[in-house]
Amino acid sequence: MKALVMLWVLCCVAPLSWASERGKLEKIEIDTSFAARARGVDQVMTVCRGCHSMKYIKYRDLANLGIAADKITEWRAGQPLSAHITSQMPGEVAAAAFGNVPPDLSLIVQARADGIPYVYSFLLGFYITPAGLPDNHVFPETKMPDVMGVSGASAAQRAEIGGRARDIVSFLNWAADPHEEERHRLGYYVIAYLILLTVLLYLVKRQIWARLK
Amino acid sequence: MKNKVIAWIDKRFPLTQFVKHELTDYPTPRNLSYWWNFGFLAGFVLVLQVLTGIFLAMHYKADVVQAFDSIQHIMRSVNYGWLIRYMHSTGASAFFLMIYIHMARTLYYGSFRAPRELLWWTGQGLLLLLMATAFMGYLLPWGQMSYWGATVITNLFRATPFVGEQVVIWLRGDYSVSDATLTRFFALHYLFPFLIVGAVVVHLVALHSVKSSNPSGINLADKDNIPFHPYFTAKDFFGLGIFLIVYSIFVFFLPDRLIEPANNIPANPLQTPAHIVPEWYFLPFYAILRSVPSLVGGVVAMGLSVMIFAFMPYLDRSRIPGGARYRPLYRILFYVFSIDMLVLGYVGYIPATDASIIVGQIGTFVYFTLFFILPFKSRAEEAWLIRRGLPPAVVALMASEAEEKSKGQPHRRKGEAS
Repeated sequence: MKALVMLWVLCCVAPLSWASERGKLEKIEIDTSFAARARGVDQVMTVCRGCHSMKYIKYRDLANLGIAADKITEWRAGQPLSAHITSQMPGEVAAAAFGNVPPDLSLIVQARADGIPYVYSFLLGFYITPAGLPDNHVFPETKMPDVMGVSGASAAQRAEIGGRARDIVSFLNWAADPHEEERHRLGYYVIAYLILLTVLLYLVKRQIWARLK
Repeated sequence: MKNKVIAWIDKRFPLTQFVKHELTDYPTPRNLSYWWNFGFLAGFVLVLQVLTGIFLAMHYKADVVQAFDSIQHIMRSVNYGWLIRYMHSTGASAFFLMIYIHMARTLYYGSFRAPRELLWWTGQGLLLLLMATAFMGYLLPWGQMSYWGATVITNLFRATPFVGEQVVIWLRGDYSVSDATLTRFFALHYLFPFLIVGAVVVHLVALHSVKSSNPSGINLADKDNIPFHPYFTAKDFFGLGIFLIVYSIFVFFLPDRLIEPANNIPANPLQTPAHIVPEWYFLPFYAILRSVPSLVGGVVAMGLSVMIFAFMPYLDRSRIPGGARYRPLYRILFYVFSIDMLVLGYVGYIPATDASIIVGQIGTFVYFTLFFILPFKSRAEEAWLIRRGLPPAVVALMASEAEEKSKGQPHRRKGEAS
């Protein structure tokens, strides 16, 4: 039966290693600080929102996150706080211009395998092909233009753009799962409680079984 | 006061008698290992799934326009909606894991053999119900994988002789997976768990009539049977604690590990995902389906791969009790089977390549070969082991079982008076 346990362990561990085999994505540590997210939301609301919506995020969610009220007032342009964030370019117009409706960004880091490195590497993946056409290493033939100007950037500019891309991903990560921190916090309490409970249940079991001769 | 109330009830309903018969006096082999915990754990997960599912249904909208959004509403705006939803989505995997370990234990220790055939077959029925429920539940989030998974699987019914096309339309309620499909899958996903509860009751009635098998493989003397309560309730609750810790690690820290990224993209009938994969618990069977080049052949192979477990009481011809315990060859077969399941699972997970198809075909061949050689192997192994010598308790049990069998089915020749 020990071998069976080993099989199950292998079964659980193996998929983790397959997932990490995807090449060329740059692993990054997510900055979960408020400052990074606030910088990220600035980028998303002023640049990305030109074409992309974030329909599962309401302006009120940004207020609850702690974003300055005057900024939110400016972004929502008279819409109520309960309005969902829509793109500035209507879907049909974008589809006519780019050939595709730009994807909604609320869940984007969860909607791609290895979402965080994927989005980060995608943002920094623009380059000019030998034929002089723009393209992307991560998503070849993407319809999205090189909004951040990565392909023509010098090394110093690249570092600065990389910092902005990090902030964007930090914010998108929050947007995809706003309850993540609450979930982790609660998780530690729940598991600590369960460990204590399980120890007690083990002692109860031992005591009851001790009655048997 | 308490005794008075119970006495009042007992006059009208056999409460005390029931508790005594099924719990406090129910004889359970004292040597059951922790491998015998998983039936209880599966039952616990069933309750968890029903409870979380009822609360999800209060906020979910079974409508192609609103389904995906309503899940996000649950995840973001409903109080602790994220917790209920992650408990439910993780619970589905937990359910299959518990059932697969429960089945592996039954196969390893030969718990399916006489007189527990009906117990095993009700379990087989439960597995089918569980698979159907999980499959229909997976459509409800209306993500890309939900939609295309349901499309691929309902398409398999095209293999039905003569009326394949009609059966597929009848199942979907439309020419393609659509609103009609979503609403009926939701209705059935809510109904099936209650059928499962009913089938679990039948499973338990069968269990309490034949009693638990045990790792020694032999029937224990009365003194080695102990009451289920408090001994096994205590043991099961300790096991439950361990289960809940592992389950909570997934619910709180790794809930996305069990959700395909593509299912966070709303269903789009115009765009097929690059790679359609089912949930992990269907992967080995999916690999078998893909290993056979023809649709009908693949469907038959997949159906047979799930249903073949039901034949185990007849495929295993050995009269030696205890499953793998006294039978080294059977034990080897069991481990080869376990490894084969993992290989098939991996093949089902990765995109099909020439190499993976060949590995899948070898895996499928091994899968069925293991079952088909079992009748011959078990007889040969039995003869070999008897020659080599078996523990006296096992020999005694085999003799008493043989005697019982001959009493149950008296050999009558033609013309012989009864």
